[in-house]
Amino acid sequence: MKSAVMLKSVLLLVLAISVVSTGCKKKPKANGGAGFDEMGNVIGQDMGDGGLYGYGDAMNPDGMAAAASQFETLYFDYDSSIVSPSERGKLDAIVEFLRANPQSSLVVEGHCDERGSNEYNLALGERRAQSVRAYLLGMGVEPGRVTTKSYGEENPAALGHDEGAWRLNRRAQFSLY
Amino acid sequence: MLRKYFWVFGLLGLTVTGGSAAEITIAKGTGRATFDASPFGISDAVGKTFVTVLENDLARSGWLSRGGAGAADFIITGQAVGRGEGAVVDIRVAARGGSRPLWSKVYREPVSSIRRIAHEAADAILFATTGKKGMATARLAMVGTGTGHKEIYLCDADGGGLVQLTNHRNITLAPEWSPDGRAIFYTSFFKGFPALYRVLLPGGQLTRISNFAGLNTGGAVSPDGRQIALILSKDGNPELYIMNLADGALARLTRSPGANEASPCWSPDGRQIAYVSDQVNRQPRIYVINRSGGQGQRVTRSGSQNVAPNWGPHGQLTYATLTGGRFQIYVLDPATGEERQISSGNVDFEDPCWAPDGRHIACTRTENYRSQVVLLDTMGDPYIVLTDGKGDWTSPNWTK
Repeated sequence: MKSAVMLKSVLLLVLAISVVSTGCKKKPKANGGAGFDEMGNVIGQDMGDGGLYGYGDAMNPDGMAAAASQFETLYFDYDSSIVSPSERGKLDAIVEFLRANPQSSLVVEGHCDERGSNEYNLALGERRAQSVRAYLLGMGVEPGRVTTKSYGEENPAALGHDEGAWRLNRRAQFSLY
Repeated sequence: MLRKYFWVFGLLGLTVTGGSAAEITIAKGTGRATFDASPFGISDAVGKTFVTVLENDLARSGWLSRGGAGAADFIITGQAVGRGEGAVVDIRVAARGGSRPLWSKVYREPVSSIRRIAHEAADAILFATTGKKGMATARLAMVGTGTGHKEIYLCDADGGGLVQLTNHRNITLAPEWSPDGRAIFYTSFFKGFPALYRVLLPGGQLTRISNFAGLNTGGAVSPDGRQIALILSKDGNPELYIMNLADGALARLTRSPGANEASPCWSPDGRQIAYVSDQVNRQPRIYVINRSGGQGQRVTRSGSQNVAPNWGPHGQLTYATLTGGRFQIYVLDPATGEERQISSGNVDFEDPCWAPDGRHIACTRTENYRSQVVLLDTMGDPYIVLTDGKGDWTSPNWTK
């Protein structure tokens, strides 16, 4: 707690310094000590579809995992991004829902177990989400209604360090927006 | 005005988040050139801090070790004192019996800069006595979990001067310094989806660099500072791209449907990029591709997986290899193709990054699911723990 207060003052100090160092030409907007949450200009290009590929905080500031999904979690084999035949049935309910609710869109989250490098697992989680998306599109869902998001190994569902936990963490979860 | 600014900023270096420069047991340097700093005059806490940091830096370099009074090869003399808020350090080093100093300098700076002055003096003394480039003035960025979230932290090469850089209270990963040390790039989920950000130092101005649909990760800045290599999945599965930082223009380097690419890093001359791909047998391996395009060439074969490459200042690649169920740090000499194991033991060593001295490698060491950042010596000295054990510390990245 004490160090948190100290950190906050360090961060404010940094902001104060940047005022000094730029001769007050450009005032950074202090944000209640919340760190460097101020955004500068964006030089990367967005996909254009602001709503769909926009920033998740508009939908759910704590990330999609916090939202209890009405859809069943789908599981993967080790190091695989293939939707196994035994798991495909779980996607039928999603296709049905999206057909019945044309205004709804879906985020498919891909997750991995803790083995392997963090960055490689981000890629693997993305591929898992994408193979679910591909399956949904194959079932006739419009491409613009399904977006992917990889958490890699960063957001485990189970906290153990054995196959019992790992198999629960190699998964795709779903949320609507 | 300028003076005051430096004084204020200097405070940052001394604001330590609860921890400090680790409990470093240095058992380095047997049979190497020796130094003796015992004649250096100490009369207060400022002087004591200076000499302690300096001696530890010199020993950590691996090229020098502490020698006995009167018997050491190099003698460090002078004094360091604090006068109010100012510090005066007058320091020189000479060969034993030599009449002229090999290097000397007088510093008059804020007391708050005393650790930085010691780091500077250490690298200058190392170079003057051995001709070797040091790492004492370099800084590390890394990921820490002490707040309950993964955030980016910065510290000195000895683990001291620890400060928290980000406060996104979300998942924030993979810090990477720009070549000039004035910016850090990282991936964060704080806006919902994983996007690539750049924070300028000092000041903390934050810019979102890449926010395409899907993955935006692995950002690594080219040696000339103009481009960033990164992993995007906007066109399908994760692939390697290069983006111009000036205008955001993209070039796609890999086309591997059905495979994952990850973790790009640049060669020192900026002409090639090493990265991870699992395009053959779904086994992640290190590949090298020209920045101008072409076909990636596989360069590693050790163990069953090779991940997290990092290209050192002398042209050697380091990476983590999965072997015997554990990740170990390896070094590849591209000239010979030889792969050499650096770390060992029944623990995991991951995320290697060359120190600017070209000899040491910072990496993550995980034992019983707890991670610390450690310093490996490619010349065989024991590893040194740099972090404080409060929370997990991963993904170290050095200034160049």
